[in-house]
Order: sequence, then structure tokens, then C-alpha cells
Amino acid sequence: MTRNQIHSIFLSAFVLVAALIASRPAAAQDPQQPYPSMAPVEQYLMDRDAEIALARSAAPDAISHDASVIVFTRHGYETAVQGKNGWVCWVGRGWMAMFDHPEFWNPKIRAADCLNPPAARFILPYAFKRTELLLAGHSKPEVIAAIKSAIEKKELPALEPGSLCYMMSKASYLTDNGGHNLPHLMFYGTAKDDAAWGANLTNPPVLSVNYWYISAQSYPQLKSFPPLSVFLVGVDKWSDGTLAPSM
Amino acid sequence: MRKQKAGAIVIKSFALLVVFGTAYQAMAQDAKTTYPSMAPIEQYRMDRTAEIPLARSAAPESVSGDAEVLVLGSHGFETAVKGKNGFVCIVERSWTSAPDTDFWNPKVRTPICYNAAAARSVLLRNIQRTDLILAGRTKAQVDEAIVAAVAKKELPAMEPGAMCYMMSKQGYGGDSVKHWPPHVMFYFSQTDPATWGAGLPGSPILAMSDDHEHLTMFAIGVQRWSDGTEPR
Repeated sequence: MTRNQIHSIFLSAFVLVAALIASRPAAAQDPQQPYPSMAPVEQYLMDRDAEIALARSAAPDAISHDASVIVFTRHGYETAVQGKNGWVCWVGRGWMAMFDHPEFWNPKIRAADCLNPPAARFILPYAFKRTELLLAGHSKPEVIAAIKSAIEKKELPALEPGSLCYMMSKASYLTDNGGHNLPHLMFYGTAKDDAAWGANLTNPPVLSVNYWYISAQSYPQLKSFPPLSVFLVGVDKWSDGTLAPSM
Repeated sequence: MRKQKAGAIVIKSFALLVVFGTAYQAMAQDAKTTYPSMAPIEQYRMDRTAEIPLARSAAPESVSGDAEVLVLGSHGFETAVKGKNGFVCIVERSWTSAPDTDFWNPKVRTPICYNAAAARSVLLRNIQRTDLILAGRTKAQVDEAIVAAVAKKELPAMEPGAMCYMMSKQGYGGDSVKHWPPHVMFYFSQTDPATWGAGLPGSPILAMSDDHEHLTMFAIGVQRWSDGTEPR
């Protein structure tokens, strides 16, 4: 499978899950720009208790019960529950996808996610900054520039080995496509790990994609970002133990 | 890595992969064995033309097709096919890949494809272990030698990103665990399994830690065999 083919798969859905559900019927939308701009912030908000429960559902209770939970508010993410095990559960919105992802502004996206401690220390500062800037009305190029500057000043952390997250919620909405959701684990690595893990080859159990972009053409400055890949391994059950549809 | 030597097996209820969990539990058991000593070396070896495809079956062809392949010779593993992509495929034998009860079981055949980082770290330990076994060392002597070599850094620590594929539909895990479900494994230097949520109820991840070798392995079941068919 070529990188272009992979990107075309990822274009049709949210982050890596797209590759797993791309064969299912897609919603009737303009594939280029189904969500060209941010919707009113209210459309991204949800009831706080419901959001906490959804966030926790990303991982089995044995993990998420003692995790911290952060929730999205109109001013950004904030801690709703202080945890005890170092894990952080949250519900990502569409703008956590690659900057050129067609569902970046999809207000229906609810990506329940439990980050292990290294991933939480790494991913969340980026997520918070991205969210804060977007809510403040900054354009994507401005956000990209601000993140790049923060990376260069070492205000944002480097990737830690062993960073992973659980995305096993039955209630997530990851994309308009197909069944909208599939249980999986995600690992964070450097871009050079793609081939090293055998990801994205024919019949692979491991898929990967660039964390920052689908194609760097839209936002060339992303090419100068630290290489970061997200690796996905599908699992066969939801966090509640029920069997998931076969991929 | 001799999984049965894992110092702290982190296995509790494992809803997702019952068979998998059973397999790893069996790794940790001290039970009577029907294979008290090493069989003649010929019983562990296999036809080279059969061993190569069996080794490759550990991973999808897109990975294993360009991998280096090792086969078991009379004195240890030797290169049968040069690779191009950094992966190394091998059929491991009982002394590196079976429960204690099957330690000398000559029928054990465990196909594995290691990525380059794992080939430079984990695999070196298994190759050395095999060399020592075939040289007539006892289990205890081999364990001691490997631990000492790790301590002296004669055997390297785990490299970041070290992982392997174990997705062969074929092979034989031993009399207690005849076949492993398809899975991938990740290797780290001594990592707290809780960091990955491994072994907790409902977690799809299993972990085994070997304190002596400063090694933690994480295993995750995958949904297909290397040939694309589904086990369920």
C-alpha cells in the first residue's frame, strides 16, 4: 500500500480508525469540505456528567475508575475529576485530528480516550494549547505557528517512550463514516517507526498515520514539526467487555 | 526470551483473550513435565524448506516477504535467507518460547518475526540462549549466563520500538498451550505493567516482567492470522 493510498483512506474518516471502517457506507457529504469552519461552540459542548462517563468508557473500569477526567468547556479543557493512577480520560473533539482532516470541525465528533501517564504528559499540553487557541478564534496557520514556537522554546514536551491510549468506548463517535467507531489502542512514536513496525503494509495488524497532517500540502509548516506517528492496533471488545464488530 | 522465567507474571482475569491468558498463565506454572531432558538435537530441527515458510508465517507476507530468515542448525540459529527490511523471522524452540512443562518438548515450534529493534535486542538473547542449550548447558546455567550477560551489557538493553509479530496459524506452542492466538508483542526495559494498564480486568494487554533480565513484554491480541483469516 502506498503512502498516498493510506492518506486517501484516512481522508475519509477520523484519524486511524478510518482505515478500519472505510469499507462501510459513507454518509452523503462533500468529501472535500464537509465542515469548512467551526460551528457554534455550544455544538461541541456536552453535559458534564455525561462527558465524564463517556470519557471513562474509553478504557475498562479497572483503568478508568481511578483516572483523572478532563472535560471540555467553552473556555477549554478543565479537570473534572482528580485521579489516582496517572491515567487521564477525556473526550477529544474533531480538532484533535490532523490539521487538514475533513472532519476537523465536525461538531458530532466525540472521541473518548484514556491516556496512560506518559501519553498524558505528552499529548495533553498540545491538546490544551490547540484547543485554547482555536477557541480564541485563531486560524489554523496561527495555531500551527504558535505550537511550532512553543515546541522550539521547549514549552511543549517531547514524546515519552511507551505513550499509548485506550479508545475502547462503545459510545464514541469518531467519524461520519461507516459505523462511526471501533475499539482500538493507539501508540505514539516517531515517524521513522512506520516501517520499523511494519505498519500500513498489506494485511497489517498495525496502522499508522502522521499525527500532524494527512498531506503537508495544506499546511507546509507542519513538515518542520517533530516527526510524530500514531499507531493503531484494533481490539475485539469494547471497554464493557462486549464483542465489537469484526474489522 | 524465556517467558517461563518471568519474575512477576502480571496476569489476572483477561476477558478479551481467554486463550491468550491461559497460555501465559501456563508459561508461569511449575508443573510436572513429560520432557525431563533434552531430546536428540535432530528432533528439534526441521526441514529447511519447511522451516523458512513457517518462520515467515509469523507475519503478513508484506512484512515477512523481505525479512531475514533464521533456521536452527546443529549448533544454533543460522541465516537461511538474507532480508531487506530489517525484520527477522525465526521458528523458536521450546527453550525460548514454551512453558516450563514443555521446556524440552521437541515438538514446539513458535514462529516469530522481530522488527529490527527487537532483532538487535530480544533476539540476541534468544540466539545466545539457544547456543548455550545446544552446547549442553543446563537450564539453570543458561539462565545464569543470560542474566550475567545482560548485567555486563554484553547483551543489549531493549531498544525503543522493539516489537514482534506472532500471527502464525501454524506452529505448536507445547502440550499445555498448543496454539497461541495471533498477537503482537512489544519489549521494554523494565517497565511497570500498570503503565500500560496490562493485566487488569478487561484490558486487551498482557504483560510479563523479568526482573533478572530487566525486561518487560507486552502482548496484544490481534484479530487476524497472518494470512488474513480470522480466528473467531
